Amino acid sequence: MINNTRTSHEIHATPPGDLAIWFFIYAELLAFGVFFVAYAFARANNVELFNESQQHLNRTSGAINTLVLITSSYFMVRAVAAIKQGLSNSCARWIAAAIGLGFVFLAIKIAEFNATFATGISLSTNTFYMFYLSLTLFHFMHVILGMVILAAIMVKALRGGYSAENHIGVETGASYWHMVDLLWIILFPLVYVIR
Amino acid sequence: MDTPHKPHFIRPCTRIWLALMILTCTTFAIGETGWSGTAVMLTVLGTAVIKVEMVANYFMGLRRTRWLWRGLVLGWLILVSGLITIAYLMTVK
Amino acid sequence: MQYQSQAVAKPYFIAAIGLFVGQIIFGLIMGYQYVVGDFLFPEIPFNVARMVHTNLLIVWLLFGFMGATHYLIPEEAETELFSPKLGLITFWVFLVAGALTIVGYLMVPYATLAAMTGNDLLPTMGREFLEQPLITKVGIVIVVLTFLFNISMTVLKGRKTSISLVLLVGLWGLAIFFLFSFYNPSNLVLDKYFWWWTVHLWVEGVWELILGAMLAFVLIKVTGVDREVIEKWLYVIIAMTLITGIIGTGHHYFWIGTPEYWQWFGSVFSALEPIPFFMMTVFAFNMVNRRRREHPNKAATLWALGTGVMAFLGAGVWGFLHTLAPVNFFTHGTQVTAAHGHMAFYGAYVMVNLAMISYAMPMLRGRTANSGAAQTLEMWSFWLMTVSIVFITLFLTAAGILQVWLQRMGDTPMGFMAAQDQIMIFYWLREITGFVFLLGLVMYIWSFFCKKGEAQTAA
Repeated sequence: MINNTRTSHEIHATPPGDLAIWFFIYAELLAFGVFFVAYAFARANNVELFNESQQHLNRTSGAINTLVLITSSYFMVRAVAAIKQGLSNSCARWIAAAIGLGFVFLAIKIAEFNATFATGISLSTNTFYMFYLSLTLFHFMHVILGMVILAAIMVKALRGGYSAENHIGVETGASYWHMVDLLWIILFPLVYVIR
Repeated sequence: MDTPHKPHFIRPCTRIWLALMILTCTTFAIGETGWSGTAVMLTVLGTAVIKVEMVANYFMGLRRTRWLWRGLVLGWLILVSGLITIAYLMTVK
Repeated sequence: MQYQSQAVAKPYFIAAIGLFVGQIIFGLIMGYQYVVGDFLFPEIPFNVARMVHTNLLIVWLLFGFMGATHYLIPEEAETELFSPKLGLITFWVFLVAGALTIVGYLMVPYATLAAMTGNDLLPTMGREFLEQPLITKVGIVIVVLTFLFNISMTVLKGRKTSISLVLLVGLWGLAIFFLFSFYNPSNLVLDKYFWWWTVHLWVEGVWELILGAMLAFVLIKVTGVDREVIEKWLYVIIAMTLITGIIGTGHHYFWIGTPEYWQWFGSVFSALEPIPFFMMTVFAFNMVNRRRREHPNKAATLWALGTGVMAFLGAGVWGFLHTLAPVNFFTHGTQVTAAHGHMAFYGAYVMVNLAMISYAMPMLRGRTANSGAAQTLEMWSFWLMTVSIVFITLFLTAAGILQVWLQRMGDTPMGFMAAQDQIMIFYWLREITGFVFLLGLVMYIWSFFCKKGEAQTAA
C-alpha cells in the first residue's frame, strides 16, 4: 500500500483512468467548445435578441444545478479515494450518492424544460432558444450517459470487482463524470448569466 | 494487509469543492444584480475559467500528470474562452 | 483458412472485383461524356452511365462487405457458418438480381423499366442512388435478411467478440436504414429528408461500423497485437462515429426546406466527423508499429494503413471543406461534392474491401500470402490507384472552386453550361487520370494470377 504516501507527488505518464476515455473526453471538449464558440458568435450578431431572451431563463435552477453537479463530482473524488484504500463498500456508497445527485440534476432540468416548453418555445423560436435548448439537451444526454457509466461501476464495486491496487475502472468513470461537471461550469455562466 | 493511509488528495479536493461552491454563488449573485458590461462579463467568464482549471487539475487529477494532458485542457480552455471574449468584445463599441 | 465454410467468401470477392471493373468502365464512359457530350448517345445517355457507375459501386461494396463477413465471422466466432449453402444461395440470387437490374438500366428507357417492374404499385424509383426497380429493392431486402439470419445464427452459436458485435450492428443497421428507400412521401422536403436516412446514415453511420470491424480484424491478423487493445479503440472510434455521424445528417438539411437549426446542428456535428477518421489513422499506424509478428502479407498491411489515411483525407478533410453551412451555401451540388465523393468512397470503403480481399484471398487459395513478386505488383496497384484518386480529387476540387467562382459569385454570375465550358480542362485531366486508375485496378487483379516467385504457405 505504498500507493498513497510515497507516490503522492509523483507525476504520472497518463491521466487517471483508461487512456481511451481521455481521448473521448478531449473529443467531447472539442465538440462542446465548438458549440460554445458558435453561441458566442451567433450572439454577437443578435445581441438584443439574446439579451432579451436570456431574461426569461430560470437562473436559480441553473445555479442550483451547478452546485448539484459540483458536489456530485466531489463525491466521485471521494469514491476514488475510498477504493484507493481498498474500501469497496464505501466506494460504492459515494458513487451512489453521486448518481443520486445526478437524478436531482435531471429532475431540476426536466422541470425547467417543462416550464420552457409550456410557453410554446421550441428549437425554431429563435436563435437564442435554439442554442439554449440544444446545448442543455446535449449536456442532459451526457449526464444520463455518465450516470449509466457510474451505475455500472457501482455494481462492479459492490461485487468487489475493484481493489486498492486495481481500480482503473473507478477512475475512468470519475474522469468522465468530472468532464460532465466541467462543461456545465462553462455552460451555466455562458448561457444563463453573461450578457 | 496494512491499513492504507487516507489518500493525500482528499483534503485539497474538499477545499476546492468549497471554493467552487462559493464561486458559483458569486456568479449567480452577479446574474441576479442584472449588471452588464465588459468588466462584469470578464469577471464571470474569468470565474468560470478558474473553476474549470480547479476541476481539471484537482478533481480530474491532471496536476499529477505530464504537462501534455494538462496543456490540452488548458489550451482548449484558453482558446474557447478567448474566442468567447472576442465575440463579446466585438459587440461593445 | 481455418474453417471450411469461409470459402463462401470467395465468390463474393470475385464478384465484387468484377463489378468494380464495371464501375470504373462506366466511370470512364461518363467522364468522357463530360467533355464530349454525345459520346455513345443514344445508346448510353449520361444519366444512365451515371446511374450504372454509382449503383455498381454500391453493389460491389455490398458484395465486398458480405464476402468479408462470411470470411471473418467463422474465425471470430470460432465455428463454421450456420449454413454455407445459404451463403452461396444468397450470393447467386444477389448476383443475378444485380446483373438483371444493370441490364434493365442499359436495355430499356428508365421510364419503361419503371412501368415494367411495378413502380406504380409502390413508387420508389427515380431517386439518386435508390434508382433500383421495386422488385430489385424487395430482392435486396430478402437477400440481406437471409444473409443476416445466417450470420447472426453463426455468431449466436459461437464465440462473441467485439468485432463481430460491431459488424453485426453495422449490418443490421444497413438493413434497417435501407427500408427508408421504400418510403417516398409526395412532399418533396420529406422525400429528401428521409432519403438521407438511407444514403447518409449508410455511408456516414452504419457502414463505418462495418469499416471499423473489418479494419480491426485485418489489423489483429497482420500485427498480432492483443485483441483487448484493438477492441478498446474500436469502441471509442465507433462511439465518436455515431455521435458525430447521426446528428451530422444535418449537413444535408441546410437548403431543402427543413428548420433553420439544422444549419447549426449540421455544421457543428459534421465538422467533428473527421475526428473518428483521424483516430482510425492513428490507431492503424499505432497497431502496425506495435506489431508482434511480421506477417508475410505486406500488401494487406499497406492497404489497411492506406484505408486510415485516405479515409481521413477523403471523408474527413474533403468532407470538412464544404460541410459548414456558410461554405456549403456556395458549394452544394458543385464539383466540390464530386471531389469529396470520389476520395471518400475510395479511401473508406473501396480500400477497406481491397485490404480485406488482399488479406483473405491468398488464404482462401491455400497460402498465407502471395509471392513477393505478386505483392510488389499489388503494391504498385495500390500506389497507382491511390495517387490517381488523389489527382482526380484535386482536379475535381479545382473544377468545383472555379465553378463556384464563375457560377455563384460576383456581380454577373455565369449560367451553368457556360461555367462548365470554362472548367473543361479539369474534366480532361480527370478523364486521363481515370485511365491510370483503371491500369492500377488491372494490376491489382493481375497480382492474383502472377505465377512468378514462391507463394508463402507456412501458416
